[in-house]
Amino acid sequence: MSALIIDDVAVSRGAGPVIQGVSFTLEQGRVTALVGPNGAGKTSLLDGISGVAQISAGTIRIDGTPIEKLSRVARAKQGIVHIEQGRAVFPSLTVRENLSLTARTPAEIDAALARFPELEKRIDAPTALLSGGEQQMVVLARAFAARPRFLLIDEMSLGLAPVVFMRLLPIVSEIAEQGVGVLLVEQFTHLALGLAEEALVVASGQVSFQGPAATLREDASLLHRAYLGGAAA
Amino acid sequence: MLQGALAGLAAGGLYAVLAVCLTLMSRLVRVVNFSQAATGMFGGFVAVWLVTETGVPIWLGSVLGVLLAGVLSGVIGWIAATWLSEADTTTRSAMTVGPLLLLISLSFILFGNKPQPFASIISGPAFTVGGVVISQVTLVTVSLAIVVAVAVRILLTRTAIGTRLRALSERPTTAELLGIPSKPLSIAVWVVTGVISAIAIVVVAPTQSNDAISLAMLIVPAAAAALLGGFKRLDLAVVGGLVLGVLSGLVAQIDEVSLIRNFLPFLFIVVLLLWTQRKEVWDAAR
Ligand SMILES: Nc1ncnc2c1ncn2[C@@H]1O[C@H](COP(=O)(O)OP(=O)(O)OP(=O)(O)O)[C@@H](O)[C@H]1O
Ligand SMILES: [Mg+2]
Repeated sequence: MSALIIDDVAVSRGAGPVIQGVSFTLEQGRVTALVGPNGAGKTSLLDGISGVAQISAGTIRIDGTPIEKLSRVARAKQGIVHIEQGRAVFPSLTVRENLSLTARTPAEIDAALARFPELEKRIDAPTALLSGGEQQMVVLARAFAARPRFLLIDEMSLGLAPVVFMRLLPIVSEIAEQGVGVLLVEQFTHLALGLAEEALVVASGQVSFQGPAATLREDASLLHRAYLGGAAA
Repeated sequence: MLQGALAGLAAGGLYAVLAVCLTLMSRLVRVVNFSQAATGMFGGFVAVWLVTETGVPIWLGSVLGVLLAGVLSGVIGWIAATWLSEADTTTRSAMTVGPLLLLISLSFILFGNKPQPFASIISGPAFTVGGVVISQVTLVTVSLAIVVAVAVRILLTRTAIGTRLRALSERPTTAELLGIPSKPLSIAVWVVTGVISAIAIVVVAPTQSNDAISLAMLIVPAAAAALLGGFKRLDLAVVGGLVLGVLSGLVAQIDEVSLIRNFLPFLFIVVLLLWTQRKEVWDAAR
């Protein structure tokens, strides 16, 4: 089992660091929830890990190998898949074409689709014509077909009806059970904490809680204080 | 009259090939490549120099010239992909004016400012319909335009590499996050369009004004033709090129209006813009 090791990482945008001093280990087969108020720097951290943005301090390693200098493409080849905030589909590509970008064989496309029977009848439709929930299914299926070692998911729930989101969440657990290290950024804090083993709360660019998700599930006031940037653990 | 129009068709085929290349560049690598014709011009001049000064056979000189044009275009693409990968289309397009001017002045320095003694690779009539002669050059350029447009369409819609290129053009960052190598793929697009443009220019150059400026500025009618397809549709880019070629052939025939020949691409652009805005409210659109 490999691990993605984030060590004292900072990400800067324009003026200065928007998130700093982040250290944690993402282990394969586990879900880590990353929560915090709007503008806390969650997306920026994911960008730094996947290479969308350069990190301004710290190191990122997979097992012993530093990857923070690698390009996005090289990091993807290392098994990091980043599902961006919003609907990251290629609108003019059909569902099948979206999946073919990461699946190596038609059998892998079928395997990815098996989790989302809804998509099968829309398989040759341009993804632009799909509903928001269906588009997010395409994105998840595409990420699954990439056979990631580490999967970074940024606010999958954004703009989705709660029932649709509840339908997608168990699939995240299943993906983790297959040996993928999942970092789950989520606004629905309780749902994310319910799913995760580990939790990370960030507030105003700092980590304000880090530890077992169960600790936050059991102590609502701790979560509340961490959101305000208070309790360090 | 008809002969004049058909004489323009050879140039029209050239405009169409260039317009297809411009459309492809705009769609796939977010650039209006002002040096699209200049790289072909320079490759053609080097081909002429190789044939006249070093005595290599015409076919070999032409192949080398076309390959050089592809390499030059690839170098410009490498610059765009390395330093301007996150820049907007405007900045990337403005950058290509640099190589356009550089290649024109370099060809003045190396080859002088006279038209070049291009030897014809193909010449003579292909066939005659109703007493009107269709030249081989016309046949080749028009077919090249159509073949390239059809081949590109098949490539983009039916192949794995085409799917990747479309993904890159729609969401470059997302594509990279899935491990699609944007830099090699976009440089390949530059090289291929550079080669195709150069082939068309080398074929037509013997029968056209072929000084450095005239050839490099083929970009103007080509851009006008590409505009018909909104820099998106390949079929309309071909139609635009052919129509513009026929129109300028016609205009050249009629003494009273032959002067406007040089303004034809400009008129074409103005008419097109007015036509595409015909449904807009006059005040709101302008
Ligand atoms: N491209 C950018 N350029 C400059 N500043 C940025 C950029 N992107 C984000 N920021 C700033 O960085 C800070 C953190 O933003 P980020 O998007 O990482 O937060 P977030 O935790 O993902 O928020 P949300 O929950 O709203 O998605 C914000 O103050 C934001 O204004
Ligand atoms: Mg965010």
